[in-house]
Amino acid sequence: MSSDSRVAAAGLVSVGALTWLMASVLHVANPATVSTAFLLVVLVVAAVSTLRAAIVTSIAAVLAFNFFFLPPVGTFDIADSQNWVALGAFLVVSLVASNLSAVARARTAEAVARREEQARLFDLSRDVLVLPDDRDALTALARAVARRFDLEFVAVALPLEAGWDLYQAGAVAIDLDRRELSTALAAAQTTLEFDAAARAYSGQRETTVGDRVVRLVPLRAGTRPIGLLAASGRVLEPGTLDALAGVVAIAIERASLLDERKAAEITKRSEELKTTLLASIGHDLRTPLTAIRVAAANLQDEAFSAADRHEQGELIHAEVERLARLFQNLMDMARIDAGGVAHESRRAFPSEIVAAARDQVDRALSRHRVSVVVEPDLPVRLDPRLTASALARVLENAAQYAPEGTAIEVTAAVTGDGLTIAVRDHGPGIAAEDLPHLFERFYRGSSSRGRASGSGMGLWIARGFLSAQNGRVWVENATDGGARVTMTVPLADEPADTGAGA
Amino acid sequence: MTTSATILLVDDEPAIQRAVGPLLRSRGYDVTVAGTGAEALRLVAERPPDLIVLDLGLPDLEGTEVCRRVRLGSAVPIVVLSARGAEEDKVQALDLGADDYVTKPFGPEELLARIRVALRRRPSTDAADAGTHTFGTLAIDYDRRRVIRDGEEIRLTPKELELLSLLARNHDRVLTSRAILKAIWGANAVEQPEHLWTLMAQLRKKIEADPANPRYLVSEPWVGYRFVSGSA
Repeated sequence: MSSDSRVAAAGLVSVGALTWLMASVLHVANPATVSTAFLLVVLVVAAVSTLRAAIVTSIAAVLAFNFFFLPPVGTFDIADSQNWVALGAFLVVSLVASNLSAVARARTAEAVARREEQARLFDLSRDVLVLPDDRDALTALARAVARRFDLEFVAVALPLEAGWDLYQAGAVAIDLDRRELSTALAAAQTTLEFDAAARAYSGQRETTVGDRVVRLVPLRAGTRPIGLLAASGRVLEPGTLDALAGVVAIAIERASLLDERKAAEITKRSEELKTTLLASIGHDLRTPLTAIRVAAANLQDEAFSAADRHEQGELIHAEVERLARLFQNLMDMARIDAGGVAHESRRAFPSEIVAAARDQVDRALSRHRVSVVVEPDLPVRLDPRLTASALARVLENAAQYAPEGTAIEVTAAVTGDGLTIAVRDHGPGIAAEDLPHLFERFYRGSSSRGRASGSGMGLWIARGFLSAQNGRVWVENATDGGARVTMTVPLADEPADTGAGA
Repeated sequence: MTTSATILLVDDEPAIQRAVGPLLRSRGYDVTVAGTGAEALRLVAERPPDLIVLDLGLPDLEGTEVCRRVRLGSAVPIVVLSARGAEEDKVQALDLGADDYVTKPFGPEELLARIRVALRRRPSTDAADAGTHTFGTLAIDYDRRRVIRDGEEIRLTPKELELLSLLARNHDRVLTSRAILKAIWGANAVEQPEHLWTLMAQLRKKIEADPANPRYLVSEPWVGYRFVSGSA
């Protein structure tokens, strides 16, 4: 509107200027020349502005023409038929020109708007490609629609057995009427989105919630409606809404495909895990059971000497211990799987933790030279039990894979990351292909596969115990041979009441 | 205690070596221990043992592969140690020439019995079908092709007699279904175990006092059959 009045004012100024130019400067007296010049002004105004501005300009031009150029000059003499002809001509030009220009401008505006919507749709479809493949995908989708189309409210509504699943986004929250949704969806079952005969999007509906108008657009997979898109705020073309709903429907299809694939993958993973678990436990149980069974019979055998019996007794001890360790591993594994590793921070000395860990696996370590350096041995606040259990697993692993008689060096220090403990062995190191998998459950190094020792549970449990305290563990090969496993445990904050009771 | 057969024990588990080695030695066997398939093959070539006890889960070579390679140059009896549930491996090892198997966890008597049977025999299948073999109340007269139970002759069809003779000559030793099918019906029949099931059912009806709980013709589930002499 304001731009119209500006153009109208510009028209009036032009008419004034033209009048002054011709009457006072050029001294043009020929009415035909003057009227043509005025006509041009009217034409220009009509072309760039609305009909109203053009009419205002026309009238001003007629008045100026009449007053200054038509004899008797200096009077408004409407009686002269020439005036009527001039006025009529000016008005007709105004009408025709402004109509033509209005149509052209409307087309341009529409094209610009279309292009804009297309750009938005394009951006949205790009957003859809990078949607996360988790349960937040649909909320993220609604958010993307709201952002790309500047809508105040967007909801993706998917019907459930009973009720609706709503994923909403936007600056305002609207409580949609579920019955309205059901009606809209039911209507979408029977009508087609685009009625070609009526050239209308008959599937779209409007509903009013409070003072807001919400448009409901069916989402279709093929022709089957799978849900509704609700939008409120900026008014969108029905065609745009339709295209938008198409993109959203594709995104939903994609999300549910991803969901299904993921679920299938999880099932497969868990099946694999079960198989590996059974194979691993089967092996780890069978050997000690066989050894114990045979050794127990040997113990009763008269033919065995006292020394031989002692040896068989030792064997039984060792194998029972192995079973006990397996049992402990299974319990720990189940605990980690169930997410039931509670951690309880308290003050402890690093040297205490290392000693506790060594104690847990002293039998396994008996054939290695273990050295410990703790610097500085200052009290730290963490869960010493879990930390020691994790370290014990790491030590046991080192003892299993490094040859007997070699040294195992344990260093502990308090660093910026918390308590850092490194276990360095002088074994064969870790094959490059094993490095990324070392902490996977039941993974056994490629060179040691089938070997008596590892169950493939120890390092996984160590990692489980450490991550329960937000700690980390990693492994690398030392430059001069052997492997180094490093674990860090962040220190807990001192409790607020520290010192109060002390 | 007078046996002085040499046994090669192949198992990578120190615990098994420490328990089974002394067990075998206490029964008078001369025991050598190998921890890997490669070592076992080397020892077989250097000092051929009288019998091999072979674990199927070795770190370097598949146990079945060890079986196959040993068989290339030797007829030494092989008793394999295998896991329950690993019937495929067992059958494969037996088909590759192993003589018998024991499932872990096994008891000492079970292993010793298999070793005794494996050491005692290797009557080749085409050896003279001479004489009469008596198992408890059952007598098989290979010459006259007659079978007598509790003093009464039992009429058998030629196929039934063939099956009984095959199992009895290999008494106390497991025979895989494949091996039996091949011996009786020929190589083309090895994938048709139903022949064997039917024939075995008929034979049990005639031989066994209680066909549902056979005393002689014992099934080894998923593997094959064993003729139990009752004296092993």
